[in-house]
Amino acid sequence: MGESGSKQSLDENLKAPCVAACPVHTDNRRLTEYVAHGRYEDALELTLSVNPFSSVCGRICSHACEQECRRNNVEKPLSLRMLKRFIVDNTRDYRLARRGKIKKTAGTKGKKVAVVGAGPSGMTAAHDLAKDGFSVTVFERAEKPGGMLSYAIPKYRLPYDIVREDVDDILALGVELKTGFDVGKDVTFDQLKKDHDAVLIAGGLFDSRTLALPGMDADGVILAMPFLREAAEGGTPVLGKKVVVIGGGNVAVDVARTAKRLGAEEVTMICLEGEDEMPAWDWEIQETVEEGIRISNSWGPTEVRTDGGRVTGIDFKECTCVFDDTGRFNPQYDESNTCSFDADNVIVSIGQQADISCVEGSKVKIAGGTRFEYDRATLATSEPGVFASGEIAVGPGAAIEAVAEGRRAAQAIAHWLDKGDVASIPGTDMPHVGELPERVAEKVIKRDRTEVEFADPVERLTNFEVIEPCFTEKEARQEAARCMSCTLGAVVDEEKCAVCLTCVRVCPFDVAKIEKKAVMPADECQACGLCAAECPAVAIKLERWGVHEMKNRIAGKLERLGGKPDKFLLGFGCLFQAETRDALQNDPAAVKSDGIVRISVPCTARLTVSDLLAPFELGAGGVTVIACEGDSCQYPIALDRIERRVKEAGGFLEAIGVGADKIQLMKTNGPAETEWPKILSEAREKLG
Amino acid sequence: MIIADQKPVAEIKGFIEGKKKVLIAGCGTCVTVCLAGGETEVKNVASALRIAFKNDGKDVEILEDTVERQCDDEFVEPLLARVKNEGFDAVVTLACGVGCNFLSTRIGPVQVFPGVNTSFLGSNEAQGDYLELCAGCGECILHLTGGICPMARCSKQIMNGPCGGTSDGKCEISQDIDCGWYLIVKRMQELDILGQYDEIQAARDWSKGTHGGPRRLTKETAAMAAEDDAAKES
Repeated sequence: MGESGSKQSLDENLKAPCVAACPVHTDNRRLTEYVAHGRYEDALELTLSVNPFSSVCGRICSHACEQECRRNNVEKPLSLRMLKRFIVDNTRDYRLARRGKIKKTAGTKGKKVAVVGAGPSGMTAAHDLAKDGFSVTVFERAEKPGGMLSYAIPKYRLPYDIVREDVDDILALGVELKTGFDVGKDVTFDQLKKDHDAVLIAGGLFDSRTLALPGMDADGVILAMPFLREAAEGGTPVLGKKVVVIGGGNVAVDVARTAKRLGAEEVTMICLEGEDEMPAWDWEIQETVEEGIRISNSWGPTEVRTDGGRVTGIDFKECTCVFDDTGRFNPQYDESNTCSFDADNVIVSIGQQADISCVEGSKVKIAGGTRFEYDRATLATSEPGVFASGEIAVGPGAAIEAVAEGRRAAQAIAHWLDKGDVASIPGTDMPHVGELPERVAEKVIKRDRTEVEFADPVERLTNFEVIEPCFTEKEARQEAARCMSCTLGAVVDEEKCAVCLTCVRVCPFDVAKIEKKAVMPADECQACGLCAAECPAVAIKLERWGVHEMKNRIAGKLERLGGKPDKFLLGFGCLFQAETRDALQNDPAAVKSDGIVRISVPCTARLTVSDLLAPFELGAGGVTVIACEGDSCQYPIALDRIERRVKEAGGFLEAIGVGADKIQLMKTNGPAETEWPKILSEAREKLG
Repeated sequence: MIIADQKPVAEIKGFIEGKKKVLIAGCGTCVTVCLAGGETEVKNVASALRIAFKNDGKDVEILEDTVERQCDDEFVEPLLARVKNEGFDAVVTLACGVGCNFLSTRIGPVQVFPGVNTSFLGSNEAQGDYLELCAGCGECILHLTGGICPMARCSKQIMNGPCGGTSDGKCEISQDIDCGWYLIVKRMQELDILGQYDEIQAARDWSKGTHGGPRRLTKETAAMAAEDDAAKES
């Protein structure tokens, strides 16, 4: 739980939980805003600005943002990972063109950095260092970059071309990549260090841990990482009909599902942990079960049964407890309760460890086993100028955590190269608002989380094709509209506030209150903007919306359209009605022909009376406001408020002889694509 | 609070016909709170006037300003300076009548027009709903009437009511108006002081209200000494 209280939005120290939870602090609220406005390219730029592995994360991110999303307090969290995927999947042409324009900043500073390992951590560090002007060479033992992304995660979750999208952007900065290059063999670590001003060790955990059980040396016993790697490289490891996977983590899940796709008829995952303790993500377990894989919990292996040197099965005893009171791994067993599984193959997936052979013979001090001395705060090893990040340094974790560590490593190395000493690099913790209070949550209009339908479980087992479809544009926009814009709400200018109580009275969420002056607590405000539109003192600002600024916006739009069209009419529409961004655009030819200019706003109830009059000042002959009807409306009472304001604006127009009938409010719950043209065409006919 | 109601824009427009540069001046206090003359209303009125003159083919510059209060020199001075420096030839104030008076006596040869009708002293019963509760008569007798004022709430301002026009708690002039004396009696019953109702109230001293001419109140204890007096004291 982070900070909470009555601080208002523009306080940079008080972030939305989704932003704070993301290890690279992706501003998901901006992403959803960009999607709502149809600015998919801006959304891509935003995500790439903090996460060079945005394509990858769109597919496989463990999405801590969703766990913390405050829609959890209303119904279900936003599908933020899938929105990110939608953004990268729908901006490919733009990204390709963008890549051609990326400045090769690497090498402009004249200092050289070697990165060992082309996984997400190493490549992210290379990205940041290259952007900072350093010359960076990444040395990768495998033939392809990406590390675990390319060699461990199955293709049905993450195709290699997706990894490559991100890697190619990084390389465009001038980062040099040497694949098939084994540091420790092809060059000694000391020589590498001598050739560079700093070195980052950023390897992954490619060595599988194994078990000391009788029968482990039998044919048919396989370790997880070599198995996954062979499958990832397009190989088809030969499996028997019955496969037992030992382990309950995400890698074990990948192994089991890969085994099933490779033809094993009966796959069973068996792990020490109980159902609720399994380290694999819930959604991965669910998908696994859908694919007909059995999961058997709370069993510890005792012996691999063999016949003639070949696996025939494996025996287990009950595991009664995995962790001790202090939370340490310390399994306890009931020897009297045992079971046995027949198996043609046993695949051991009980964890991974680092291969640190790259530093053998160097001065980098080993801390014991497969770890070396490493300071979590400075990312420095025992050897000056040698740093470490990613799984080799901090142990197994999600890809986005590796990216975040890569970013920290780049900061650590840049500091070293610029200042000559090590610095403590801030971690990823960030203060944030707490949960949405229940009394506010119950007033938020409920919207179902947009889900996609995965490929049929039977069908998907026949190949390694991606099983999860991307959002359609309609689905993405629908989902983005669910964002509650946490901490981007209303801010009061205390100098101007007349304490009139209007905001307190109109706030549909009972958020606004008076503390000497009006206050909209950042942890409660829903950023609907109704208070700002009603404030008689123009004392309320919104971070995402210029209150009373419509005149300038329309003037700018007219300028871009080549001037005011003949028989100019203005149509205000709610952008949440649009299923495609095309509906939000003004086609200059159409405007020229029908004179109708469209302005899309995030809820028409943000429009003030002066906003509604502004088109007339700019020469419009009429204004149509297309508001959302009934349940389709984003905010409670919004329709009532805009109806009243249209009436007030009509009163002004009547008084000055223009006529109240020149402004009209139309309501629809249909999509903008079909409804707006009908409504605006009727307005055209009516107004002449 | 002073309650005001915006004048029809057509009427305001009539005031400034023939002017070339007009400032619409809002007030950030009472008229902001009663949604008649704050910065938002200034924007609306100014916009409507710009549209109206544009449609007439007339080139009239309509600008906007809002100050904290139009009844204090310290707040009004920047507004007056702007009018002078920028060459406005008229001001429409959306402040109450106090603000219009105040500006008019300080602004020099520029006419100040009222943009609102100053209505009464009242309460904010609900968003956008105001009720007159005080007549500013200069001699409160609320202690005699259960805290409900016959001057403000009785249509006839009678001191010993109700009159024969009361009907089911409503005033004979409109079914939308409560009978003030009905409210007084109900309140006295609630407070168990209905005995006071039997006491006949003497005729009022009307000279303490507007009948005695314009009023001025000086608090000697709060007033600042004139510079000459201050010099003598020291």
